[in-house]
Amino acid sequence: MKRVIPGLMLLCAAAGGVALAHSAPNSLVKLDFLAHTVRAEVLVPESELASATAAESTKWPFAEYLQRHLSVETPQGAAWKLEVRSVSSTAYLGHAYLSAQVEFTPPPGASVREFVLVDDAVTHEVRNHLVLVLVTDTATPEVLGALQYPARRLKVQR
Amino acid sequence: MKRSSRWVLGAALVVIAHAASSADALCAKPSNGNGQVKAVIASIETLKKALSAEQRAALERPFVRGSAIQWSNLPVGIVPRAGLRLGDLDVKQEHAAHRVAAAALSACGLKMLDEIRIADNHLKNVDARRIGWDGGNYYMSVLGTPSERTPWMLQIGGHHVAYNFTFNGDREGATPLFFGSEPIHFNMGDTGYEPLATQSGAMSKLAQAIAKHPEAKLSGTFTDVVKGVVVVFVEGQMPTGGTDTGFPMSYPEGTADRGILYGALAPEEQALVRAALESYASLPGAAITESLAATYESPGALASTYVGYSGEPDLSARGSYVRIDGPRIWMELVVQPAVADNKQLHYHALWRDKLSDYGGEIGAK
Repeated sequence: MKRVIPGLMLLCAAAGGVALAHSAPNSLVKLDFLAHTVRAEVLVPESELASATAAESTKWPFAEYLQRHLSVETPQGAAWKLEVRSVSSTAYLGHAYLSAQVEFTPPPGASVREFVLVDDAVTHEVRNHLVLVLVTDTATPEVLGALQYPARRLKVQR
Repeated sequence: MKRSSRWVLGAALVVIAHAASSADALCAKPSNGNGQVKAVIASIETLKKALSAEQRAALERPFVRGSAIQWSNLPVGIVPRAGLRLGDLDVKQEHAAHRVAAAALSACGLKMLDEIRIADNHLKNVDARRIGWDGGNYYMSVLGTPSERTPWMLQIGGHHVAYNFTFNGDREGATPLFFGSEPIHFNMGDTGYEPLATQSGAMSKLAQAIAKHPEAKLSGTFTDVVKGVVVVFVEGQMPTGGTDTGFPMSYPEGTADRGILYGALAPEEQALVRAALESYASLPGAAITESLAATYESPGALASTYVGYSGEPDLSARGSYVRIDGPRIWMELVVQPAVADNKQLHYHALWRDKLSDYGGEIGAK
């Protein structure tokens, strides 16, 4: 903790300005397990999304783009319902992110706590990019796993 | 005289004083200890005698996964480091610490360390943001007990260097080895510097040579090294990770999208592969690195080694990328936009060994 405090002070000082300390930020998928659905905040750095879509002729609105690159399935391959409830912009440590609030609903009879998350929104093109999948309903965020090309499917069991 | 200047002066004196020591096969210049464990231990013992009890406690850390993976390519204001902060040392202590580096590194690796620290001092002068640019923000750690028989590690690192040397490990202990440079070249006073000139030059020559082969071009886009540190940014919180939490890594398999095989290259192109490989492998002292380099350059390994590139082969634009990917070797270099001045460029480079990172002594979580 002694080492973290000066770091945090530096961080706060930097974040108050235009810090850009890491030129290739990662995506985050933050999961919140509810009784019948899973809610997720999907954060995609705009710089990396721009790299991923630079060669694409169609520029999809972010919600539609996510629908094409993000999904959830049962372990047996049955698709969950995906609803992008809202999209906003945010910034952190000088990086601009697109943020989507997403709700996943399993098919009838399927467990809400066991599924396969499929995400290649950036990783289909950007080879170093990581999608970090976290659970944020714990005291400290817990990383469940990460996706990097060519991997695009992460088994989740809670 | 500034501390970093003293460190560089010390480097010059050490190199001159030991010019007669055994030659390093990969780095053309001689080094102080050539990575010989006995020389490294002796230099550490001398350093420890020059330190206070508190400083020794900072230097000496346990040889466990949590300590070993605590290196990063981020400024210390974002990812705090552990160990003995070199910027806090007095002249005598700094000279002793430099002798440890000189014992473990080749002359090439020592020069690169010195110049990368100077680059951080340059950044401190041109970028007022307080995220830890400082040649003093480099650290040294001894993990475990230095021994000629049992495993232990020496770490020297900061923003753009991570030397992780494991001695007496189950396997060779030269990696993970991260290095970078921002700016790519710069002046401090009347002196011009380009810390990664050898490595970027070798990788660029290789990329330009193989660019004539369509199969050498890698698919996709590269905005950083592929097998680097993992950073978890959660808004409103201190970033977590930023260290090698992804270790052990998985690597590409099969033949698809790995570039062109060494055996498909002309002899002069093959020589460029070996030169690029050696530009990285020459950074640790010869005793640490020679057997690995020999393994990488064995006919069997080279026959299964791929080289690939993306972006501009002359490394003139962001997103340019070069990689050597063999049965064990993983060396990559990427061109990124600079952080302090977004119009400039900067390099990140990484050498991993698919079997012997951390000497084979560190497992999964």
